[in-house]
Amino acid sequence: MTAMRLALRLGQWGLIGFAVVAFIFTFINAVGFYAVAGHTPAEREAFANSFAQIAAQLTVLLPPATRLDTVGGYTQYRAFGSLVIMFSIWALASASGAARGNEDRGLVDVILATGVSRVRALAAQVAAFAIAGFVAALAASAGLMVGAIAGQESFPIVPAIEAAVVLSAIAVSCYALVLLVAQLVPSRMAAGTAGAVLLALFLLNSLSRTFDSLHRLRWISPFRYYELSTPLPPGGTFDVTATLVLFAIAIVACSLAALAFRKRDLGSALFAFRAVARPPTYEPSRAIVWRVPVLRDLYDRRLGIATWAIGLAAMAALFVVLTRTIVQPLLSIPGLATYFAALLHGPIYQAFLSSLWFGVAQLLMAGFAITQVGRWSAEDTDGRLELILSTPVSRTRVVIERALVLAVGALIIAAASGAAVGIESNFQSIDLDGGRLAEASLMLVPVTLVFAAVGALLAARLPRAAVGILGTFAFVSYLMLQVGPIFKMPDWFGDLSAFKLYGQPLTEGIDQTGLAIMVAIVLAAFWASAVVMRRRDIGS
Amino acid sequence: MPVAAIQTSKLSKDYGLGHGLFDLDLTISPQEVFGFLGPNGAGKSTAIRCLMGMIRPTRGSAHIFGLDCLRDSVAVKRKVGYMPGDMPQFGSLRGREVVAYLGGMRGNVDPTLVRKIAERFDLDLGRRFREYSSGNKKKLGIVLAFMHKPELLILDEPTGGLDPLNQQEFYRLLNETREAGAAIFLSSHILSEVEHVCDRVGIIRSGRLVKVAELDEIHNIRVLRLEIEFAPDTKVPEAAIRSAAGVDDVVVEDNKVTCTVKGAFDPLLKALSATTVINLVSHEPSLEEVFLTYYRPDAPAEAVTR
Repeated sequence: MTAMRLALRLGQWGLIGFAVVAFIFTFINAVGFYAVAGHTPAEREAFANSFAQIAAQLTVLLPPATRLDTVGGYTQYRAFGSLVIMFSIWALASASGAARGNEDRGLVDVILATGVSRVRALAAQVAAFAIAGFVAALAASAGLMVGAIAGQESFPIVPAIEAAVVLSAIAVSCYALVLLVAQLVPSRMAAGTAGAVLLALFLLNSLSRTFDSLHRLRWISPFRYYELSTPLPPGGTFDVTATLVLFAIAIVACSLAALAFRKRDLGSALFAFRAVARPPTYEPSRAIVWRVPVLRDLYDRRLGIATWAIGLAAMAALFVVLTRTIVQPLLSIPGLATYFAALLHGPIYQAFLSSLWFGVAQLLMAGFAITQVGRWSAEDTDGRLELILSTPVSRTRVVIERALVLAVGALIIAAASGAAVGIESNFQSIDLDGGRLAEASLMLVPVTLVFAAVGALLAARLPRAAVGILGTFAFVSYLMLQVGPIFKMPDWFGDLSAFKLYGQPLTEGIDQTGLAIMVAIVLAAFWASAVVMRRRDIGS
Repeated sequence: MPVAAIQTSKLSKDYGLGHGLFDLDLTISPQEVFGFLGPNGAGKSTAIRCLMGMIRPTRGSAHIFGLDCLRDSVAVKRKVGYMPGDMPQFGSLRGREVVAYLGGMRGNVDPTLVRKIAERFDLDLGRRFREYSSGNKKKLGIVLAFMHKPELLILDEPTGGLDPLNQQEFYRLLNETREAGAAIFLSSHILSEVEHVCDRVGIIRSGRLVKVAELDEIHNIRVLRLEIEFAPDTKVPEAAIRSAAGVDDVVVEDNKVTCTVKGAFDPLLKALSATTVINLVSHEPSLEEVFLTYYRPDAPAEAVTR
């Protein structure tokens, strides 16, 4: 019990954060449904028909939609289809941290030294996450129910609880799989390898809806069993067997993880390669990169930046392919022309890419900025900044170098994704203006810098809370753009979003005002960050 | 008159509730090795972090070679080699990359000196930081602090985690560095450590400097522990021993007595004069015992500053 309480205590902020986000997410979708779907059955049916045609084109990524004329069906598709991804990421972060992160920090040694067995320690972590996952999933269902009340309807409690059970089942199933994978590989590779496994399982299920050859393999993926239950739409199903399979996957994976945990040495992987013998080295590295400011930090982060660049380039190419796949059939539906006219501007493919890919790209670049801010905060709290400042380097210079490293990193990532869009568009015979594409890609850099500058200020003032606050800022900014049109909010509401400053450079060219505001925010926030850094105590 | 290596005046950092550092007045000369002693939480690291400009003092000032530790912090750090109490994480960077990274920031690092120190401590710089044991992390900290031949070394509990052989090697390195002209400010809670290397010792308790003394002076504040064995037919003069001035911690067991004696022996010898003592053993105090006397929670600060 003590080990489980400790695991719950360590994960309390994850639980609170995900519960709040899940509640807000389903609540906004439920309320949004009443705002966009109309109030009469005829209006809702017309809305559902239009939306179903879009959803049908997106089955390559999201599960098919049913009963979109109801708040349950709409929320099942719009909210719970995305929440499964969010909960999987949560499971990945929690399980890799619990399995190997705590080990690196020496926490596992301390726990095992109290006489708790390895199996019990591992079981306590799984139980704590299962409880946290269920509470957060209940919050998601509560958001739907409160949203329905706001729309002057009531939503039955049983399907809401069933949805929470299924969501927590997939979360705990992912958690157990990550726990298992994390036992097998070295600590530094645990999160990455487990993430790749989860992504592969997710894509296996998603792509099997489009590619028949993957049909017979999809039983491997836990995501398949998740989408077999759709309890929220009227007449929806709660597949008990599929849900039990999810729990069975969790139990089997946990048992194997426990077995591996018992067999391996703490700090080592189950399958560890013997180090190759080599004579000791007493020489410092003579590589010139370590002597050049900015370059040395870029070199230090080369793997991370390369991963982001390759990842974004791959996603950019995928979105170009999807644009062709999705837009072509949609163009043959006359009723959707008005819908597109309201949402998109300029040539249809260009407008679709601008809205879809560059919208996602901004979010991902904000994610890149948040990871870098997380690193700055960690440097402060783990003492690395103190050692850096023990050299003849001023605090202002540290802030400037951080900004430059991030700007160059963002430029590399933006250039890679822009190049991928250009090359893949050429293959897909989508005619893009090269100049505009370059502008749209380069404009991702100031967007990233806006988040980084706000993050730098937070990291200088409140290093331990910086990532959480910045993540919330990004989430709220994104949400403002999403809900503004649905709730017919005035223009100024959307203008408050940090993402709004990006504009539509692919279709309309660079928004000079937006760019000027971004530059002003970046300069002001980094300047303020330098001032705060100069005045504060390091490590406090 | 040469500029002091370190000079603090009323240096204070108040964290509230009595925690922090209060009114530290200290002058350390060039080429001096100064030991800064105190238990955990006494304020040693706070003082060091003020000197390094990491934290801003609530009041007072600190100067290194005449430079203000806050205002001239960059110039100060050109002259200082610093070793923190705990080495931070450098993840998958190799030792040689950590040296190159921080050396690149610092400039004027002599690779030959790095090699000599690494060889001396048998520190394989080809291994990744995360593979280093705590002792090897300390050794890397030593390399980083000494690699640019600083004029002043500020070392926060430098030998924690080092094995005895490497500790001895470290003391030799300190002596050589001092002979080469550097001043050293070393914090520790291990008194035997400062016995090896320090010229002067400052004792800090609850954020206040309670004593600064030459090493010999610390030795002279003796609290001797005695074991007295009386002849079997002798009655132990327990009352006389207990009432003798300077005698404390008296324990009587059959015909044996153990006690501590502070100051002169005369009162105790007078108490024993009418008895037959067959054995008397006096233990020379270790610095630890002197130190513990200073740190007894009931020992008033003014009493120990005599």
